[in-house]
Amino acid sequence: MHFITGGSFNGKREWVKKTYGLTGTWLSAYQVKTLPDDFNHITSDLLVLEGIEIWLKETTKSYNSNKSREIWIDTINQWRTWEEAEPQRKLVVIGTDITKGIVPVEIENRLWRDVTGWAYQDLAAKADKVDVIWYGLNQTIKQTGDEEQ
Amino acid sequence: MAAASLIFISGGVRSGKSSFAEKLAEEIALKKGGQLNYLATGVASDQEMKERILKHQRDRETGNHLWRTVEQSHTIGKIAGVFNDEDIILLDCVTTLLNNELFSAKQKWDEHFLEQTLESIMSGILEIRDRAKVLLVVSNEVFYESMAENDLVFSYGRILGKIHQNLVKAADQAFLVEAGMAVNMKGSRI
Repeated sequence: MHFITGGSFNGKREWVKKTYGLTGTWLSAYQVKTLPDDFNHITSDLLVLEGIEIWLKETTKSYNSNKSREIWIDTINQWRTWEEAEPQRKLVVIGTDITKGIVPVEIENRLWRDVTGWAYQDLAAKADKVDVIWYGLNQTIKQTGDEEQ
Repeated sequence: MAAASLIFISGGVRSGKSSFAEKLAEEIALKKGGQLNYLATGVASDQEMKERILKHQRDRETGNHLWRTVEQSHTIGKIAGVFNDEDIILLDCVTTLLNNELFSAKQKWDEHFLEQTLESIMSGILEIRDRAKVLLVVSNEVFYESMAENDLVFSYGRILGKIHQNLVKAADQAFLVEAGMAVNMKGSRI
């Protein structure tokens, strides 16, 4: 699992397209608002999940922070199960960093921001590789043995 | 002569990005010679802004280097003609320039207007770079909070993000300034 993060409008999507090519399944939260957890029907080798901060926001609308994080960890585990079922499968997850601005006035946005920060920590901990994109340039901040070339 | 170079520097509010950019420009002047230019884009809209501009001017005047100040608050390419290949130019900053373009036009922010603004800023910057010895461009990091709630913020972020991506692509060197420390993101320091 490869986690890609960075600020809004920094060219994350373009970087992923350039790095992984255009073949594969692309699921975007900017298009479908519900968090997908069942990937059994996806048979392509590459699966890209984009805009996970939006799915996290949807989750925080119905659950408190602890429950949201629980759901999130469960979701990541299901994603990984899909990826590990076949050796050639690759999961790429893109999440915008929304955690470095001024504390939001609205309580629901504070909750969303908190959960997103924790969720990215959980995701990065389980990812094989993590890259931060800054205006099209990548900085690899985590790389495990499997990913090193 | 080698092609003129472009250096992109960004950072958060009060990160020390302007000081770093000024020092870097002076370092280049010392090593390679050339005239230091400050390309001022700010329009003093209130007293605080006036004082801010004055402080920046004083800082440059009291230093050991002679800076020339050139003012151009919009359609930046128009000023390109005053520069030549001896000029080291510091443009601080892109967001001010973008604000001047977007807010002075009193125009609806439709796709056409935003594309036009992006094009005008990018071509203007590259035009200045082509004439100069070195052009240093400073901008702001504003992309780390949710920008989706407000259409204006979203459009603004999208165009600024595009400008930054274009600048980093065109730049020979790029730096991200964090708490006064410059992180070299692209190219090695001259």
